[in-house]
Amino acid sequence: MNSKQKYVIVLAVILIAVAAILWLTSGGEILSKDGIWVEKPMTELDKVLGQQPQLEFKEQFTLGLLPHTAVFVGLVVFISAIFFYVFKSKKQRRLNEANN
Amino acid sequence: MKQIIKSLLIVLLVVAVSLAQGFKVKASGEKTFNFEDKKGRNQASFFSTTPLEDITGVSNAVKGKITFNVADIKTLKGSISIPVSSLKTGIELRDEHMKSKNWMDAESYPDVTFLIKNVSDIKIEADNKMQIKATGDFTAHGVTKEIVVPVTLIYLDESEQTSQRAPGDLLGVQTTFKIVLSDYDVENMIVGQKVADDIEINVNIVGSSAM
Repeated sequence: MNSKQKYVIVLAVILIAVAAILWLTSGGEILSKDGIWVEKPMTELDKVLGQQPQLEFKEQFTLGLLPHTAVFVGLVVFISAIFFYVFKSKKQRRLNEANN
Repeated sequence: MKQIIKSLLIVLLVVAVSLAQGFKVKASGEKTFNFEDKKGRNQASFFSTTPLEDITGVSNAVKGKITFNVADIKTLKGSISIPVSSLKTGIELRDEHMKSKNWMDAESYPDVTFLIKNVSDIKIEADNKMQIKATGDFTAHGVTKEIVVPVTLIYLDESEQTSQRAPGDLLGVQTTFKIVLSDYDVENMIVGQKVADDIEINVNIVGSSAM
């Protein structure tokens, strides 16, 4: 493994770690969500009538493992693998040329 | 002899009245409460939880009527229903799936309904508040099952405060209970994976006696 390949691996690990941290800090949800249900503020009369808070939908993106984090990690692995191969090939090529 | 019979009847009447469990409010006699709120302030929601996904759905199109004698809650009869087409989960595509033939089949079975047949286990918590167990027929996806649900009822006589919401006396109804989807022939492949078989239903509604 040459130094360029090491950089590729380090960069890939950093990107995957950042994605994992972002996913975990977003709540560690399995699926991404476009919004969340939030409780509406209650009136005094609603409380007197024994009602529980009603729900209303609020648009708010929540990063989930699927598909966003998984797709990002997959792309990072795929691109890293390509670069790893390209750099390996160049080294190999140089070695082959030197032998010749 | 006539006097004895008369006295017995009076005693029986007094006993019957004293045994009747109802609200101790200004209102009296039979009242009918309408739960159709044109401003959409009545809500029924469901909650499904699986390791893969939590799903919440709501409907603000609750309709139905309940009738009872204010002094005797055991006389309570009525039904509450929700149009399947009014259910929203926050994702339009999922809503379409939910209403499709594979799930709730809104076209063939447009409403989810609870028809109250009788009331038991009455626990009076205040003059205008009680907890009851309502037994009735719950119909979803064209299948009817008898279930028992715990209900909290709060009665408010008409006042300046209640008129902010609706004219007439108000009846607050709150209940949370569970149903099993497969009991209602909703047996999609996804049930158990992304959608739980046990669905929690939460109803928060206020009815008016003047609507």
